[in-house]
Amino acid sequence: MERDKSALQQKRNKDLKKGLAIFLFLLPGLLLFVSILIAPIVVSLYTSLLDWNGNTKGTFIGLANYTELFTNGSIKFMISLKNSLILALFSVFIQLPLALLLALILGRKPKGERFYLTVFFMPVLISTVVIGQLWLKIYNPDYGILNRFLGAIHLENLQHIWVGDPKTALGSIVVPTIWQYVGYHMLLMYAGVKGVSPDLREAAMIDGATKWQTDRFIVIPIIKPIIRVSVIFAVTGSLKTYDLVRILTDGGPYQTTEVPSTLLENMLFLRNRYGMGSTISVMLIALCFAFALLISAAFKEKDK
Amino acid sequence: MVGKKKTFVYILLVIWTIINLFPIYFMFTFSLKGNDEIFGENVVGLPRHWLWSNYTSALGTGNMALYFFNSLLVTAVSIAISIMAAMMATYALTRIKWKLSKLTTAFFMLGLTIPLQASIVPVYVVLSRLHMLNKYSTLIVPYSAFTLSMSILICTGFMVDIPYDLDEAAIIDGCGLFGTFFKIIMPLMKPALSTIGIYAYLQCWNEFMFANVFISDAKHRTLPVGIKALSGAYTTDWGPIGAALVIATFPTLITYVALSRKIQDSFIAGAVKG
Amino acid sequence: MEKKRLVSMLLAGVMTLSLVGCGDTASAPAAGDNGGAATTEAGADAGADTAAADAGASDGPISLSMWCIATESDSNRKSYEKAIEDMKTNHPDVTLTWEAFENESYKTKIKAAVSANEMPDIFFTWSCAFLGDFVNAGKVYCLDEAYENYKNELPEAMLKNTTYDGKHYGVPLTMNIVGLFANMDLLKEAGYDEIPGTYEEFIKCCDALKAKKIVPFGCAGKETWCVTEYLESIIEKSAGASTLDAIFAGTDTWNNQDVADSVDTFQKLIKDGYFDPSGIGLSNDEVKANFIAGKYAFYMNGTWNCADFANDANFLPKVKVGEFPVINADKSKLGQLIGGPSDTLAVSASSPNAARAADYTFELGKLICHYGYLDGCGLPAWTPYGDVSSVNPLTQAVADIVAKSDSMVLFGDTAMAADKAQTYLSYVDQVYGCQIDGKGFIEGLAKDIK
Repeated sequence: MERDKSALQQKRNKDLKKGLAIFLFLLPGLLLFVSILIAPIVVSLYTSLLDWNGNTKGTFIGLANYTELFTNGSIKFMISLKNSLILALFSVFIQLPLALLLALILGRKPKGERFYLTVFFMPVLISTVVIGQLWLKIYNPDYGILNRFLGAIHLENLQHIWVGDPKTALGSIVVPTIWQYVGYHMLLMYAGVKGVSPDLREAAMIDGATKWQTDRFIVIPIIKPIIRVSVIFAVTGSLKTYDLVRILTDGGPYQTTEVPSTLLENMLFLRNRYGMGSTISVMLIALCFAFALLISAAFKEKDK
Repeated sequence: MVGKKKTFVYILLVIWTIINLFPIYFMFTFSLKGNDEIFGENVVGLPRHWLWSNYTSALGTGNMALYFFNSLLVTAVSIAISIMAAMMATYALTRIKWKLSKLTTAFFMLGLTIPLQASIVPVYVVLSRLHMLNKYSTLIVPYSAFTLSMSILICTGFMVDIPYDLDEAAIIDGCGLFGTFFKIIMPLMKPALSTIGIYAYLQCWNEFMFANVFISDAKHRTLPVGIKALSGAYTTDWGPIGAALVIATFPTLITYVALSRKIQDSFIAGAVKG
Repeated sequence: MEKKRLVSMLLAGVMTLSLVGCGDTASAPAAGDNGGAATTEAGADAGADTAAADAGASDGPISLSMWCIATESDSNRKSYEKAIEDMKTNHPDVTLTWEAFENESYKTKIKAAVSANEMPDIFFTWSCAFLGDFVNAGKVYCLDEAYENYKNELPEAMLKNTTYDGKHYGVPLTMNIVGLFANMDLLKEAGYDEIPGTYEEFIKCCDALKAKKIVPFGCAGKETWCVTEYLESIIEKSAGASTLDAIFAGTDTWNNQDVADSVDTFQKLIKDGYFDPSGIGLSNDEVKANFIAGKYAFYMNGTWNCADFANDANFLPKVKVGEFPVINADKSKLGQLIGGPSDTLAVSASSPNAARAADYTFELGKLICHYGYLDGCGLPAWTPYGDVSSVNPLTQAVADIVAKSDSMVLFGDTAMAADKAQTYLSYVDQVYGCQIDGKGFIEGLAKDIK
């Protein structure tokens, strides 16, 4: 009995020690994660229900911010959502296929594989602000190379005030976005392609499959998890877009290119409406999770 | 037939190469030109008069050297904190057996989908009440937090590959959990460092929203904010802006080209392990 | 002699004309509901700071920091530089570090800094609601004490837009109105020697310009405040100054048919092709550069631009400034202007040397105003001194217009509090893009501005 007790004691001590160790190991991570991410979200949930200017205490107004978000004609929330979704669509249906195509091609070890890989990844390393400034110079209506190029090949009627015309403004945000991140997704997918065992490929080739067929029926299914991650990143990334819009159009012309993040910032600094800012945050989080779940579900459905 | 297809593939690769390189080339050339050349006939050619004074303006009035240093400091410290916190957390999550480890992992993975913007309002209010804005730590802490999830994800990939026998052997040798972690696991995680570093770098180096909102004094501006400020000051003078863009970009690009194989391999390792 | 007469005329005019401001109207309701607490807080803050400042005041060397919008491309840059240079010699014990930010981004920046309590000791601000928000939050140092020393040089009427609850919080620099700048070379091509005085003539002139393939107006769509310079003038000249002022002050509703009609008038000008279509994608700096380059016949913007136009020796002989013609003579008349003293320096309540900063700010403001006036950056809020004969003819013309004016309505985005101002700017933006018409404008604003 005595021995049992001491064994129990020992076990308890050991458990306690283990628990303490786990706690200590997790502490720095949890501290960061909870204080910067989780706690603010919980707080946002509450402050999104306030009429609050950041200085005073704020008054509880229920869901009024949420309804105003959709009804106030000067807060272009619906437009900002539409813009994010358009960005997401372009990312998923143009950027990712392009990235996949390049990854598949490079996966076949063409001459200069390393060189292309290096070059295609370059834009990923450039700061988005730099890219924005650079493209601003490309788009400049009077001196930008795009309009000059169109002028040089006598397509003057295609010349535009790219970032100033409501018809082209969103497009001129989409193009650099795609340009910048094709390399990122390409390299992710390339990693997957490289991971496909050469034996599988050879076996398929022996069975008479062409290279494209091998890619289509062997490689793509294998790298599906990576594609899924890419799709999630592309969509949630589109919802978070901020930098390029701020630099290229600043939400204009006539607020037709606002995205949720630019609205959020305007709420804080131009309007002193912290409650409404929180409301937009909450909407953003909800949308990001909703899309992530939706995409995962869609991929699972397909697998069946 | 096969030849044609091959040509098509190469044409595609070459076109995409040009699309990738041309803007970078354009940026470099206009950084060395005056407005007369940029707005005149010599738009895309090499500069006729190499105007290095643009760089003097960008470094002098534009303060680009300081901003570069700030970015470097903030990014480096954030990555270091993120890696350390992630390794410790991953160790507890993967190599110590306890009931809630799976759930805790899932909890951390929430961070992959949470948008950075989500926390900006409360964090901003708290930092401002604590007079914590306009410091390096103002950016370092959120950046470490936001890169944490990805770091843990990658760490997990690497750490599960380390044989569990090692832990047992270490325990038998009398190492505690801490001893095992610091003496056995940490040294073996070296290959993971570069991978985590690259992913975290991509997140921190380019971050604009927090930097733009939290930093209002010139002393602590990071590159993206500095460039925005500079372009506001030189609206019609393209040369110095170009120079600033080059200063912000080329050191990274050159480092990348020099180490491209290593960097790509690390990135790829992340994709596979994650 | 001529100049001296002008200046005294101008001052006489300013003193007597009803400086329609936000001042009391805008801050009154705020003080009513929650302003009370904020003001007490401000008092406490300021008190503590004064004590701190007094303790360290004596005459030891201090350093002060200042933020402003006088960037390299700003008209006011030179007057700031000269004034600060003078201050260095006059006050060797004060080291001033100053930084200038681009106009539009400064608004974000200073608001962020104020809510973060990270303001510099001295900061540039616009008067009325813009500064009022900061005053209500208790972040601005009260200047009543320091003002005592400058009463003779700075007329109290000029402080109206920076007075809240009877207390002064700002040092005004220059006073500006919206001017109708005209490139007379281009007007001559269309057969006009003068800026047309009536609206009908004005429209005919625009048509004549268009027939000569000259773009009548340039307006930067990227910066909505530039659009308001046009729209507000049109509303004022159709609906009358008192109506517009009451609407800005919130005592009258936006739901006003005259305003709707003015918006339609404005949009007719756009639809008739009087505006440079590429203006929507340009910043004000770019539009101004285009105007100087002779791309537009007219440019409606603040009279601070006189400095830049006057500094361009080639352009100065071509340019004239005038007043926008009256559209509806039943409700408005010449002499009703948009503008007033708005550019202001303020001292932050959290400054450790607030009391000395306040004195310094008055001195600095006086000098900036002085040099700014000489450079043509606007009319002086302070009583001019020294030799002012070198003031450029454009600014003199502006002084003339102001001297004859009968009322001024302050710029809408300055007169209204932040949230309202943004709502207003958003609707103005939509008007410029012809996404809504006059009816949509007044109904939307009536609904969204509470």
